[in-house]
Amino acid sequence: MYPQLHIPDGFLSPQLSLLLWVATAVLVGIAVRKSGRADVKLLASQPILMGVLGAFIFAAQMFNFPVATGTSGHLLGGVLAGYLLGPWAGTIVMATVIGIQALLFQDGGLLALGANAFNMGIIGTLGGSFVARGIGTALGGSRSASIFGAGAAAWLAVVAAAGLTTLQLGLSGTTNIAIGLPAMLGVHAVIGIGEALITVAALTFIAQTAPDILAGVSAPSKASPVRRLVTGVAIAGGVATLASLFASTDPDGLEAVAEQLGFLNAGEVSPFELFPNYTIPGLDGGASTAVAGVLGIIVVIGVLFALGRLARSRAQS
Amino acid sequence: MIAEPRGVGRDTRAAVIATLAFVTAVALLPPGSYLALLLSWLLLAFAGALLGIGPTRLARRGLVALPFVVAAVPIVFLRSDELLWAGSVGPLTLQVSGAGLRIALTALIKAWISVQASMLLLAFASAPSIVTALRRMKLPEVIATSAGLTIRYLELLRDEARRMLRARTARSASPVGSGRERIGGSISWRARTTGNLVGSLFLRAYSRAQRIEEAAASRGATGSLSIGTMPTADPRLTIKVIGVLALVLALTLFGALLPRL
Repeated sequence: MYPQLHIPDGFLSPQLSLLLWVATAVLVGIAVRKSGRADVKLLASQPILMGVLGAFIFAAQMFNFPVATGTSGHLLGGVLAGYLLGPWAGTIVMATVIGIQALLFQDGGLLALGANAFNMGIIGTLGGSFVARGIGTALGGSRSASIFGAGAAAWLAVVAAAGLTTLQLGLSGTTNIAIGLPAMLGVHAVIGIGEALITVAALTFIAQTAPDILAGVSAPSKASPVRRLVTGVAIAGGVATLASLFASTDPDGLEAVAEQLGFLNAGEVSPFELFPNYTIPGLDGGASTAVAGVLGIIVVIGVLFALGRLARSRAQS
Repeated sequence: MIAEPRGVGRDTRAAVIATLAFVTAVALLPPGSYLALLLSWLLLAFAGALLGIGPTRLARRGLVALPFVVAAVPIVFLRSDELLWAGSVGPLTLQVSGAGLRIALTALIKAWISVQASMLLLAFASAPSIVTALRRMKLPEVIATSAGLTIRYLELLRDEARRMLRARTARSASPVGSGRERIGGSISWRARTTGNLVGSLFLRAYSRAQRIEEAAASRGATGSLSIGTMPTADPRLTIKVIGVLALVLALTLFGALLPRL
């Protein structure tokens, strides 16, 4: 069982796709500015490290571990990237990785890339990293507290991305939110445990083997009790709000919103038609449809045959 | 001798724009416009044939996105308009909605076509040349450099990961098997083993990044590490883009004109 979070093209309405493209572009733009600042100290120069670690995230997504027959835990890596590179640089790396997956591996669509990068890159990495930091601070800011925070945030990031994916599909009218949301959240709540366990184990390994690398990126901050309390309450409040939102999801309400926004039946009406109901004018009903159909099929087969020959001759030259 | 990747030294902006515009046009087609979708696919098959990829091969390679259709299955049974069939299967009462079926099928075909479009882009222009084209189109330098390096080191690190996985399999934390192949340890033990692999892959990637930086610095690199030099700008870019937009407009028009089921 793998996370189904890379939306292909065709499943999202064009309006929603473009909206999420804009949102992603704006936030990645902010990340580009922020990542250039000097508050994050990396040992290697930033673009090189980001590029190689992008390839690392790619490769790390191949790692899985068996949970039960047919089910495996595996890694998306958003929070991990955010922890190792800082939230902003991590976001850029994840967005880039998701873009390359769409372009090179057809994993997720090009038009849907805005949505995929938003769900996994912006919410999963940027949001996840801030949640991780917040939890780490609230728990006292030691290294192990911050790693625990990363684990909890990794779980949350997977579940949140799954929830967002379903909501976007629902708003586009390609899934039923009332059925889809509990199913997706349920499955990804399990997958998220794998993500959390791997993230914690990987960070623990790195912290033990090469503490100097982590020291520059996310130095544990000694927080005052007041700040710890405030951060803790803020995060608990945020999570509780989200949870209650999902728990009390009113599917009819969401569907009503989708309908009002016009995604559901977008463009189902056309102004005029050339061959109404697949018939050729002049012939009567049944015969006409059959003739049109047969003619159409013959033309298509002929075209495909010609294209096959063209392809062979072009491939040889 | 190292072969030059396809498209390097060529301005492939027009191809990138054409792919994005085509995918958008396909996405804009209303549900049930199967004829317009067929037309879009034939257009794509023609482009494929010009690139030496026959329609059968193209069609087969487009199947990768299809498993996602699971997400659209519920609406086939849950929408209550244009009922095609209603009845009970065992203890369940089921209904099949024509509208839902149309939406699911349209999404499926659109996904199938769009995947082929991006495959053709890759057949026409190499990944580095696409990054260069995006750089030209004002993709921020940090992203362009990092994307270029990710693409360049992708196979290397995936290969490393593959070897680590094989080593893990040999040492028994492998996926569920039976008898002597049985997995070792509890779930948290397996997760920790996998996490250790991820951690050590990170350390290897990190030291590789440092080596790349030293190598680049010793050769006089100044910061931007984009692949290759900028090819000369395509002088006919404007005309090509206008042509592409006209084609896309025509597709959208066909979508409105042709009959739908």
